[in-house]
Amino acid sequence: MATNSIKLLAPDVHRNLAELVAKRLGLKLTNCKLKRDPSGEVSFSIGESVRDQDIFIVTQIGSGDVNDRVLELLIMINASKTASARRISAIIPNFPYARQDRKDKSRAPITAKLMADMLTTAGCDHVITMDLHASQIQGFFDVPVDNLYAEPSVVRYIKENINFKEAIIISPDAGGAKRAAALADRLDLNFALIHKERARANEVSRMVLVGDVSDKICIIVDDMADTCGTLAKAAEVLLENKAKSVIAIVTHGILSGKAIENINNSKLDRVVCTNTVPFEDKMLKCPKLDAIDISSVLAEAIRRLHNGESISYLFKNYPL
Amino acid sequence: MNNIVVFAGSSHVDLVDKICENLGIERSQVKLGKFSNGETSISIEESVREKDVYVIQSGCGHVNDNFMELLILINACKTADASRVTAVMPYFSYSRQPDIPYTAKGAPLISKAKEKYTFDSHPGTPVPQSMLTVEKPTSPSSTKSHNASNLDSPSKQHALQSPTPLRPSELRPTSSTSSRIPMIPNGKAEHPEQDQSSNADTLFNASNSSYKLWVAQAGTLIANLLTTAGADHVITMDLHDSQFQGFFDIPVDNLYCKPITQSYIQHHIPNYQDCVVVSPDAGGAKRAAKIADVLELSFAMIHKERRSQLLKGPPGATLTSGGGVPVSAKPLIESLDLKQSSSGSGNNKYVNTTMLVGDVRNKECIIVDDLVDTSYTLTRAAKLLKDQGATKVYALITHGIFSGDALNRIGQSVIDKIIVTNSIPQNETIKALGAERVEVLDVSNIFAEAIRRIHNGESISILFEHGW
Repeated sequence: MATNSIKLLAPDVHRNLAELVAKRLGLKLTNCKLKRDPSGEVSFSIGESVRDQDIFIVTQIGSGDVNDRVLELLIMINASKTASARRISAIIPNFPYARQDRKDKSRAPITAKLMADMLTTAGCDHVITMDLHASQIQGFFDVPVDNLYAEPSVVRYIKENINFKEAIIISPDAGGAKRAAALADRLDLNFALIHKERARANEVSRMVLVGDVSDKICIIVDDMADTCGTLAKAAEVLLENKAKSVIAIVTHGILSGKAIENINNSKLDRVVCTNTVPFEDKMLKCPKLDAIDISSVLAEAIRRLHNGESISYLFKNYPL
Repeated sequence: MNNIVVFAGSSHVDLVDKICENLGIERSQVKLGKFSNGETSISIEESVREKDVYVIQSGCGHVNDNFMELLILINACKTADASRVTAVMPYFSYSRQPDIPYTAKGAPLISKAKEKYTFDSHPGTPVPQSMLTVEKPTSPSSTKSHNASNLDSPSKQHALQSPTPLRPSELRPTSSTSSRIPMIPNGKAEHPEQDQSSNADTLFNASNSSYKLWVAQAGTLIANLLTTAGADHVITMDLHDSQFQGFFDIPVDNLYCKPITQSYIQHHIPNYQDCVVVSPDAGGAKRAAKIADVLELSFAMIHKERRSQLLKGPPGATLTSGGGVPVSAKPLIESLDLKQSSSGSGNNKYVNTTMLVGDVRNKECIIVDDLVDTSYTLTRAAKLLKDQGATKVYALITHGIFSGDALNRIGQSVIDKIIVTNSIPQNETIKALGAERVEVLDVSNIFAEAIRRIHNGESISILFEHGW
């Protein structure tokens, strides 16, 4: 049997993460081309044989042309499948449509389930993602899903960059309490929670703080920051309650709409995001932004997956 | 019409309104939009439980967004317990299969690195603009005068006998686009700024010269995605490949625009009996020939091929360098019938030729095609026909996508009238070309009748022959 090796594929936009992963693995990205017709359709070609190879497609899906990125990914998966790849793993650190995961009102689409079905239909054999909005989304898939955690990377960042002995971990909503509590446990810190009533998507309403934050560095932890209205409002509530300073650490910094404006005008000291979402251009516009590189986690996951080793180590530890 | 619900995707609400008017029902309410992060959001405002749902979305505009919107709508209806969901796609996106030309070595003729160039900012052919502006006032006689400078006297005589379009090289289009998927010129002669990227491509191609590029065929994927989303039935019109129906596991009704086209020719083209129906490429020959047969018109075809350096055209066929590979400053003249042009850069072993099979002299021509995207094929065909002595050129198109600078190109081309259906919104076309040069045929009747018959469980075959 021919030896099968890792082939890393990436679309032509937002390749930074893929390149970091490739560098970490000591590989080169496979030659491939995405072509966009003037009519808007996408065609894709692979420049080398992938027969019987282990394919990993690394994507960064952020805000903006989400549907374009999704269809590009599906076409890439399908192309690899029809080119007789042995296994195709899609690495989608920020899973698109993850927030539309339930029928929250009559006849609402469960788009996350549709995404899962579409990935399977296209021929995806394995999905690697990170900090899913709701880990139940894994159940939407008929193929294995590895939901990695950004937590080890975040812990490392806090230990290296923040005087964390004086810090307190804040969850900006009840839904994120579990995640924040786990992080607080890891760092042996206290934990507080902001309770909010949300009127509509992307809009913030009244907020109530539960817990004592006086004279503490508040670290708001969340899985996703979109327009950052919540974060800005939370920072105000915390400072009103005599917090020393407020830092936000989010896994997926989608930062759409007026996010940059909101952050610049807010009382947040710093907003730290991982590079699951491309936001290099936004860092230039917003000095308060900082990045955590999670490419090593993905690279290690790819290596372990390829060699058939356990991935659970990565749930708790940062690969060095 | 009990238990029927018709939803409009955001791509073509006008057509849906017309279809609903024909069906005598109200368009059902659905809120379509996007979240701030770019994800599509929909909200269905009416109950669809146990209903027969039709979702109408054309594959135009922002194709991927519209397609995802369609999938999400279908899925939402399905999960809301609709008894049947039918996807109505007047124009079916991704129905064209991409193909990639190969060199003799087997390495693909991919032209440029992506970083250097996108289709949007650089529409492939810088020349046709200038070509067409120069060309517009060019009657056959002035073309001949250009020819005269290049030809010695016997061939000049020949040129006068049959106005073969030997254009000066600067008038040639430099794109090697086919009708379907635009290919990109691969010569370096006229694109010095692309040298670097072509080097990258040479490397790209050289490193796997033994490997033929794997090109994604999105057709099956798109079919499977629709099925996965929950579509039970698909209605579309004039599929580019009729084999596409076979990619689906669900029934696909492919309606034909032919009856409408035919009746337009009969009623709106004066002296249509003397017209020639022309297919702009071999792929559409069958479609055009059918129309010619029914109306008992004569038929001509434009054939385009890539050949290795030496051409052996059939006697009597007229060759032009149509393909638009960058050509050397002085076209070679091999014989009186045979003109060949080769790439100036010398590394291109292939020549694109276009030849007209059939006689169009002093006739009115009707070019029939199923879709026009970049319009390279169409405008080039029209030019060839006029050069061959056609008096008037009509273009009858089912799906007018007109992407990139297509409208501009058509505006400056010799096409006298373009007739297109409203399977895709044509407001821009009318704005760009003026109401007297564009005729928009309404296909809503056909779709409405198909929906009515499918809803009532009747046969729709009659629509194939007689239209509405």
